Amino acid sequence: MAVRLGPLELKNPIMVASGTFGYGVEYADVMDISAIGAISVKGISLEPRAGNPPPRICETPAGMINAIGLANIGYDAFVQTTLPRLRELGATVVVNLYGTSADEFAELAERFDSQEGIAALEVNISCPNVKAGGIHFGVRPEPAAAVTRAVRERTGLPVIVKLSPEAVNIAEVAKAAREAGADALSLINTIRGMSIDVETRRPRLGSVMGGMSGPAIRPLAVRLVYEVHKAVDVPLIGIGGISCLRDVLEFMMAGATAVQIGTANYTNPRTSLEILSDFEKYCLERGVTPAELVGTVKTN
Amino acid sequence: MARVTQVRYPEQGYALIWFRGDRQLAGNPGQFVMVRGDWGNDPILGRAFSLVESGEEEAILVRVVGVGTRRLAELKPDDPLWVLGPSGHGFALPASDQNPVLVAGGVGIAPLYFLAKKIRETGGRATVLYGARNNRETPLAEEIEEFADLVVTTEDGSAGRRGLVTEPLAEILDDTSVARIVYSCGPEAMLEAVARACVDRQVECQIALESPMACGKGTCKGCAVLAADGRYRYVCSDGPVFESREIYKS
Ligand SMILES: Cc1cc2nc3c(=O)[nH]c(=O)nc-3n(C[C@H](O)[C@H](O)[C@H](O)COP(=O)(O)OP(=O)(O)OC[C@H]3O[C@@H](n4cnc5c(N)ncnc54)[C@H](O)[C@@H]3O)c2cc1C
Ligand SMILES: Cc1cc2nc3c(=O)[nH]c(=O)nc-3n(C[C@H](O)[C@H](O)[C@H](O)COP(=O)(O)O)c2cc1C
Repeated sequence: MAVRLGPLELKNPIMVASGTFGYGVEYADVMDISAIGAISVKGISLEPRAGNPPPRICETPAGMINAIGLANIGYDAFVQTTLPRLRELGATVVVNLYGTSADEFAELAERFDSQEGIAALEVNISCPNVKAGGIHFGVRPEPAAAVTRAVRERTGLPVIVKLSPEAVNIAEVAKAAREAGADALSLINTIRGMSIDVETRRPRLGSVMGGMSGPAIRPLAVRLVYEVHKAVDVPLIGIGGISCLRDVLEFMMAGATAVQIGTANYTNPRTSLEILSDFEKYCLERGVTPAELVGTVKTN
Repeated sequence: MARVTQVRYPEQGYALIWFRGDRQLAGNPGQFVMVRGDWGNDPILGRAFSLVESGEEEAILVRVVGVGTRRLAELKPDDPLWVLGPSGHGFALPASDQNPVLVAGGVGIAPLYFLAKKIRETGGRATVLYGARNNRETPLAEEIEEFADLVVTTEDGSAGRRGLVTEPLAEILDDTSVARIVYSCGPEAMLEAVARACVDRQVECQIALESPMACGKGTCKGCAVLAADGRYRYVCSDGPVFESREIYKS
């Protein structure tokens, strides 16, 4: 079941998405987290972040909107307490990075470079829920390239750049990130949405808008993976509304080498392992390897 | 995965759901579970419910307010139920010299029913003050009388005393001849009034909070509430039970 994303080799292509599986350790009592292809942990910043005013989440048709605001324990606490525990548990760890400037991203990359037990860095230039940084880096090629380059220069770890569906032209952002040294690209992060309580006439989120996730965004994500796969020669990790084997196959056929499960972890934290078991069966029965599925959609 | 073993409808719009999984949850009063039935994408997120009972029997009390609770109330014995938990920190039981007063607002009775029963099992006896809008919104009132002293208040006077539940609470707390501890769960305005009544009289008070939540495991950081110190607390992992002073400024 192993897959290769440039320099990053994973034991299987089923990962869990940043922000939807905490730091992974929270789930060690309900499942074997070392069996997951890789865990992309909640976005880490240099300093701890408190997050946005509540309410921070609401459910919408076949999905949800969140405005967490990258609440996280910060670099020091993560490295001192969480990372050792993840190593002990044998988890494959991808660290999702959040900075408000290219310098902050670079600083994080350099600090993580010397830590044991990290498989790759995932650079979040696509969070819609923060005032500084986040999505602003991800909507145009130049800032995306600048952040990617800054990270690349300071780490020998595999670098994944996480793209936003709100990019003006996602293929160009993808190309820019690739040329600046990204080993792989993950897509998509959430897309901004809004929901109003019509009784009170108030937005259902404290920050008015938030990022949509879940099955509702899957067709959009599949389209963007397809477009980037056609335009740029770089391994892709497909994300967006995946909840079963069928969805994984869809992303792979569109061009993804691996996938991340997000919102579906809330429905059932074991989703990734259940899908993995279905995926293994599928590959065995059809006599295919995961790599043989990538980009096989027939469009003529 | 668990299965529904029994469903009862104590009042119109409420369902008491018993279930059993591969292992006993062994939850404590105030702890909760995230539950979900086999219903596809509508809704997709689990819903949080306080345990009403846990151990040999596991049960939740559901008040129908929207799509998820409506689907839960439609479940039948043997239907599958995904249950995550027990989660969160429950109530700390009273010290031997503390007389427990439990203040429930509406479906807030759920965790307090479990607590009153636990207090009885450990040799104490709780006074339960149960406030509701009317006599059709007091599920579990009869059952709780078997092991606690019950005072019902309704806003329209259709059952028990007419008025708000904070009125009998004030009377009880004003009698300072015995030491008290207050436990409360219900609508926010009521919790705040209960907390205030306790602060004024320097009585310890534990409250169980609610907030929209996705994971119920401390991972999504969705269920933030602003605490008295101006920082956030997470209902699912720091709570749902808090010392009232931690949440409300005095
Ligand atoms: C820790 C915890 C314990 C809980 N214990 C119980 C319990 O024992 N019994 C019980 O009946 N409920 C309990 N709740 C509340 C329950 O989770 C919600 O009522 C439920 O999620 C609503 O789902 P729905 O799909 O029916 O409503 P939705 O369709 O999501 O919403 C319908 C309407 O209900 C309102 N609503 C949504 N969530 C809540 C809420 N948390 N409280 C009040 N109104 C809400 C919405 O604003 C909306 O107007 C608890 C909540 C928490 C966080
Ligand atoms: C509550 C929540 C928090 C998230 N936090 C992060 C984050 O910290 N960093 C990040 O790169 N993506 C974050 N995401 C985005 C997810 O990783 C994923 O890209 C998105 O949810 C789409 O996948 P899904 O539809 O399977 O959930 C978050 C998503 C949710 C729902």
